[in-house]
Amino acid sequence: MRKSDEAQFVGLLKENQNIIHKICRLYTTDEDSHKDLFQEITIQLWKAYPNFRGDSKFTTWAYRVGLNTAITLYRKKKKTIDTIEFDSSFHKVKEDDYNYEEEEQLKLLYGAVNELNDIEKALVFLYLEDKDYTEISATLGISEVNARVKMNRVKGKLKKILNP
Amino acid sequence: MDELELLKRDWKKKENSFNQISEKEIYSMLHKTSSSIVKWILIISILEILLWSSITFFTADEEYFKTLEMYHLNTIMPIITFVNYAVILVFIYLFYKNYKAINTTESVKALMQNILKTRKTVKYYVGYNIGMAVFGFVLVFIFQFLYDPNIRTMTDKVSESMNSNLFILLIIMIYAVIIAVFVGVIWLFYKLLYGILMRRLQKNYNELSKIDF
Repeated sequence: MRKSDEAQFVGLLKENQNIIHKICRLYTTDEDSHKDLFQEITIQLWKAYPNFRGDSKFTTWAYRVGLNTAITLYRKKKKTIDTIEFDSSFHKVKEDDYNYEEEEQLKLLYGAVNELNDIEKALVFLYLEDKDYTEISATLGISEVNARVKMNRVKGKLKKILNP
Repeated sequence: MDELELLKRDWKKKENSFNQISEKEIYSMLHKTSSSIVKWILIISILEILLWSSITFFTADEEYFKTLEMYHLNTIMPIITFVNYAVILVFIYLFYKNYKAINTTESVKALMQNILKTRKTVKYYVGYNIGMAVFGFVLVFIFQFLYDPNIRTMTDKVSESMNSNLFILLIIMIYAVIIAVFVGVIWLFYKLLYGILMRRLQKNYNELSKIDF
């Protein structure tokens, strides 16, 4: 039972690992802490796996556990805005669609997101993942109204950071 | 907000830019529990040495040294104790090394090798402790038999009515039983203390070995 569970879990995780990578991209600033957080989320998912009944999709569940881990369990080093070093995977852009102005703007944007607190990052993450408010509220355990209000605040905050 | 749309576009574009983690790597992440088991082996061995040395420290009163002197063990015993602690410290260092190695393990194969190494170290450690206990008992009994005045008067008395060879044989048998009982207790102590951790390590190892290389 346990053996086949494990194989199944590893398969599911491998298939859906980009979800975790994306959470790591948002919550970490260098490759080492990306790996650390990836491992931490994997372990938390595996620990919680017996409670995963399959009544929700694996991905939905992974979003929830992954974000919870990033927000509550993972304590990262304090970073300063001047020394942000993004995940090297951020810059793997093909030469032909390189747009200097856009790149600059994106750099500022990622920098602004990086200044948000953990909960705000989670909201941005779910927004970037095209989740609707029903899913956002279910994943973060807040009401839909609250999710809307918070999301608007985050957008306002980002605007402020970008245009001081 | 235009900027957020731009961010989303970029986010989607880079969705598949991550270095993919293999199944093997995921398995090894799940089995990082080995590192906590090995950490416990290290902690328990340190607690153990603290326990033994504090027992020695608090029971080594004047009486103890007088007895040692009486048995003519007052020079050899401190040396044995010192050597014993030195050896145990070496074992603790080895446990620490195993712990460090397992902590930084990258591949499943290396993890498995480290588990084997740790199990071997624990086996040697328990073997050494039991061997040392036997040696200690035998040593003390021999010297007690040779130098304890009570035993000597007893021997003299008994030999009047009994074959002295038979008496010595009887004494040796009694000693052997006492040693067997004590060593049995010590063996049980280690079996309980490290046995559980060793079984978990073995289970972990068996699971790991199912992964195809």
